[in-house]
Amino acid sequence: MTARTLSSRSFASRGLAAAFSPISDRRSGEPTRLSVAGRGATVTLRGLSKAFGSKPVLKGVDLHIPAGQFVAVVGKSGCGKSTLLRTILGLEAPTSGDVRVADAAPNVRSARIMFQEPRLLPWARVLDNVVVGVGDRSDKAAARAAAQAALAEVGLADRAGEWPSALSGGQKQRVALARALVSHPRLLALDEPLGALDALTRIEMQTLVERIWREQGFTAVLVTHDVSEALALADRVVLVEDGAIALDLAVDLPRPRRRGSPELARLEGIILDQLFNAGARPGDAEDAPERARQEVYA
Amino acid sequence: MRFDAKNLLAFVIPVGLIVVWQGLSLLGEVPPEVLPAPTDVVAAGWRLGASGELWSNIAISAWRAGVGFLIGGGIGFAFGLANGLSKLSERLTDPTLQMIRTIPHLAMIPLVILWFGIDETAKIFLVALGVSFPIYLNTLHGVRTVDAQLVEMGRAYGMTSRELFFRVVLLGALPSIFVGLRYALGIMWLTLIVAETISASSGLGYMAMNAREFMLVDVVVLSIVIYALLGKLADSVARWLERATLSWHPAYLAR
Ligand SMILES: Nc1ncnc2c1ncn2[C@@H]1O[C@H](COP(=O)(O)OP(=O)(O)OP(=O)(O)O)[C@@H](O)[C@H]1O
Ligand SMILES: [Mg+2]
Repeated sequence: MTARTLSSRSFASRGLAAAFSPISDRRSGEPTRLSVAGRGATVTLRGLSKAFGSKPVLKGVDLHIPAGQFVAVVGKSGCGKSTLLRTILGLEAPTSGDVRVADAAPNVRSARIMFQEPRLLPWARVLDNVVVGVGDRSDKAAARAAAQAALAEVGLADRAGEWPSALSGGQKQRVALARALVSHPRLLALDEPLGALDALTRIEMQTLVERIWREQGFTAVLVTHDVSEALALADRVVLVEDGAIALDLAVDLPRPRRRGSPELARLEGIILDQLFNAGARPGDAEDAPERARQEVYA
Repeated sequence: MRFDAKNLLAFVIPVGLIVVWQGLSLLGEVPPEVLPAPTDVVAAGWRLGASGELWSNIAISAWRAGVGFLIGGGIGFAFGLANGLSKLSERLTDPTLQMIRTIPHLAMIPLVILWFGIDETAKIFLVALGVSFPIYLNTLHGVRTVDAQLVEMGRAYGMTSRELFFRVVLLGALPSIFVGLRYALGIMWLTLIVAETISASSGLGYMAMNAREFMLVDVVVLSIVIYALLGKLADSVARWLERATLSWHPAYLAR
């Protein structure tokens, strides 16, 4: 376990809101929702370091993500968020330290990633793009049925036969989400998948991701620039700074969360403070607070 | 209706030119030994067609073109794929291929005649040589410029190398490969015409050269027209193939 600023407040006294929200009393770190607890992978990073050539990007990251937890990773551009995610997924080999997913070596079949871009094959119909995500493609009919079900899940069942180029940006990202989910992964990594979407579509997608996560109970790791997005979705927000974890914050708030609630604002303040305190190094134009602020809210 | 009228527009000038040509010939403004009337050319076609000479010449020319194209295109395609996928292969063969490419392949005709005589091999060799480079270059370019993000996605989603090749790389390279294909088809006919004109005892080029000896201008013009038609046919087939396989491409979606 890493050193964590766990704010383990009890929500028992929160009254009605808690009573109606079945997961409101869960604490990060505990396996949740008994019915689906077994479906999430546990991720453990020990002393994980990654360097590109002589340039260190990650410096001894320790992180334990319990099964079924939704973790958001925030940090400035270039701090190594994507690298962290890609290393967890096994797309990059760690320079030192180790990565364990569900107590096994990184397993491509049980982990899926959603990229910032939809990355759909332009020459495959929407349905066939989702079929790409099916783990076992040997049974064609079953694979297509699973893909169709995943498309229905993201609300695009009627677009199965179209080319990706006929879809809007948000719809493409939903197809990408269906592709990521069709194999029922135990770990879903999301690398700023909503970054390119407009504000409304983004909120819609956040709701969709949250709903599916609650239904399926996979472990989710979401990389994002948007602190409010992190707080809206995650059980826990991890702030990466200078290749290490600078802040590890539990977000024990009932779902669905109301945007702009005082509690969210308070947590957002903590995260932003941490971001800017370290960011206001003099003479570093790239990290100018004004810029960072825009980026964080972008 | 409107669409039909627009299509017909393309024919106005060619048909007009033929009518003018026919008119001038009838008036005796164009002497038949310079340019025979269109009707004479058609008549020559009828005559040679009836005797079977025309068809056998077309068949042998098409056969040479096809075989040369398959061999040269196949070699170019194979090297294009290999060098696009493997750095080692590229370092090994690309400099040599680029060097050979700088030789105009028609400059090889005297040497090829010395090697193969006026045998079929000579023509097929020249066509293959000419066709291989555009296919090679465009396949290589296509494979190299396949979206790396899609390849990474394929890997992350557990595609095998085989799946990655057939479902991502090859399809991604296809638009570029088609550019090479159409360019190569043009070179194929050009090479064949030159080779058959210089050294052959059959084929359309030979038919034209032979007719020249006997001052049969109508047959010469007929050969030229047939070359043009065959070239157009090959191009249309390539276009059709392109449209059928690239129907996903935004450029073809609207049509
Ligand atoms: N393949 C690579 N080769 C060399 N350097 C790399 C490579 N990938 C990432 N880097 C470097 O590692 C650092 C972290 O990159 P990373 O993509 O993880 O940042 P990030 O936090 O995801 O940034 P952003 O928020 O802008 O996406 C950057 O300085 C980048 O230049
Ligand atoms: Mg990134």
